[in-house]
Amino acid sequence: MTRLSGRRVPWPGVAALALLVLLLPLALPGFGIGIATEIYVMAIFAMSLGLIIGYAGLVSLGHAAFFGAGAYTVALLGERISNTYVLVAAAVAVAALLACVSGALFFRSTGAYFLMLTLAFAQVLFAVAFQAESVTGGSDGMGVAVVPDLGFGEISGELGLYYLMGGAFLVCYVLLRIFVSSPAGRVVKGIMENELRMKALGYNTFSYKLFVYTLAGGVAGFAGALYSYFNLYVTPDLLGWVFSGQALIMVIVGGTGTLLGPAVGAAFFIIVRNYVSFYTEYWAFIMGLIFIFFVLLGRGGIVHLLQAAWRRLSASRSPRRDEEEEPAPEEPAAESARERTP
Amino acid sequence: MDLSAVAVQVLAGLTYGMLLFMISVGLSVIFGLMGIVNLAHGVFFVVGAYVAFSVLGAGANFLVALVVAMLAMAVLGTFVERVLLFRSYGDELGQVLLTFGLAFIIADIIKMIWGNRLQSLPTPALVDFSVSLGGVTFPAYRLVVVLVGCLLAVLLWYLESRTRIGAIIRAGVDDRQMVAALGINVTLVFTGVFAFGAALAGLGGVLGGPVLGMYPDMGFEILVLSLIVVVLGGLGTWKGAFVGGILVGMVEIFGQAYFPSLSLVIVFLLMAGVLLVRPAGLFGRSPAA
Repeated sequence: MTRLSGRRVPWPGVAALALLVLLLPLALPGFGIGIATEIYVMAIFAMSLGLIIGYAGLVSLGHAAFFGAGAYTVALLGERISNTYVLVAAAVAVAALLACVSGALFFRSTGAYFLMLTLAFAQVLFAVAFQAESVTGGSDGMGVAVVPDLGFGEISGELGLYYLMGGAFLVCYVLLRIFVSSPAGRVVKGIMENELRMKALGYNTFSYKLFVYTLAGGVAGFAGALYSYFNLYVTPDLLGWVFSGQALIMVIVGGTGTLLGPAVGAAFFIIVRNYVSFYTEYWAFIMGLIFIFFVLLGRGGIVHLLQAAWRRLSASRSPRRDEEEEPAPEEPAAESARERTP
Repeated sequence: MDLSAVAVQVLAGLTYGMLLFMISVGLSVIFGLMGIVNLAHGVFFVVGAYVAFSVLGAGANFLVALVVAMLAMAVLGTFVERVLLFRSYGDELGQVLLTFGLAFIIADIIKMIWGNRLQSLPTPALVDFSVSLGGVTFPAYRLVVVLVGCLLAVLLWYLESRTRIGAIIRAGVDDRQMVAALGINVTLVFTGVFAFGAALAGLGGVLGGPVLGMYPDMGFEILVLSLIVVVLGGLGTWKGAFVGGILVGMVEIFGQAYFPSLSLVIVFLLMAGVLLVRPAGLFGRSPAA
């Protein structure tokens, strides 16, 4: 594996993942299905943030802006239109457009400046949703009046929603996987590792970055649209920076530089939140501690830890073949994220 | 528009601006010197206010509460820098994330200790009166806040341009390695600046307590505003924080008074406008790429 060669789509892995999504409800208690459904939605959101952090080196603290924009698009348009395809497409388009415009403005700044600008941008959308009470219900939020319908009847049962979100998650994963291992995806990664070099090679780094940012925004908007269907209620908090921060926690705890890492992080986050809030209301405290632990650990997320454990295990069994089977994605990303200096 | 009403708004804006200056200056210099966006800085502001709240509750006077709160924040800042950030020098993103996790933790600790309700500090009795100037009455406390802000600006100007430590910090903002190569203990300077910045955030929190009140999640909102101040003013300079603070404070107060539905948007537009003209903020120097 050279640095720039992303892997092809690991179809056996995808099949295993699909099987997991398919069979999971059999093993879950009733309330677990709702949690798993939420995990799929958040996993899509976290993957989209993980994409720009781990593959483009763009750390955003305002990614919820796109999620919330998608969620509000479905909630607002849903009062007039009921067609699921139209609503979801509109949500993705709105979020992608916001990402494209804001990205084009913010890419002049890098690093911490970029972080602040994205944060401020999301905060403005938050303020708009918060203060436009007549349209959005202000801080009370608004109900979502539509039910998903893919053309074969309304999907409203718990299991139906589960499979809808699970399927959406799989589709997003495969699409992002294809993008990441495409030539364009490799260029993006090359830019993260050394933008000057890529510029010297003649790539228009700005438009590649903008493209991946727009893509991530669109995917986040898609997750937001799904969230509207799942939760049937949207509040300005979906745009707020605490929510952006939670997504960031999911990405870091799961593992940057991988696609599935953020999804694993999302699952971890939501399970811990549900579990901890069962005992104490101070779940943010616990999450903060876990988060700090993972940051202090260095470049590790859960996925990296698993990878390292797997490697040690397989190395002790058969010292020759260790790289072949490991399903997890390329590792140097996290490393290079630290090498890069603005 | 009534002119005396405008005058009152100007004072309110100045007061708010000075509070933003107090919190932003630490954020700005820490960022400029160490490259850390301290996302826990807003939380320092709120903790300072709550510490003063408890000290006042124990019967101490306002000045004592202020000093205790600032010292407590300096200690907290030292702890954070020495214990947490120190481990990840050279990993700027890691440091940002650490302070972010810390903000979550501290906000919850505030809830555990002081509860979730909106609290506020009493205006110190000594300055709890109104001043009449040209037919307009101003609350004296706000004048005091503005005065303290101006004194702080003078102090920082003096520290920066007339003292050795100021020279070291100025040099450190420009070239950290060079300063270290001169045999100066950079880590000590870092810790000192971090603690000083935290103490100033505490100062802002205590002085803001009677005007703004406090609640556990306030740190996040204050942080957003002070980040805007820092970006607007330019990194690493007290001048930027001073001018940026006043600008944002004024725009916030006037925005709330005359365009209540747009206040945060206006501040953001202000920032975006400034950045379009001067990408490194008003007083920041463009980084030599």
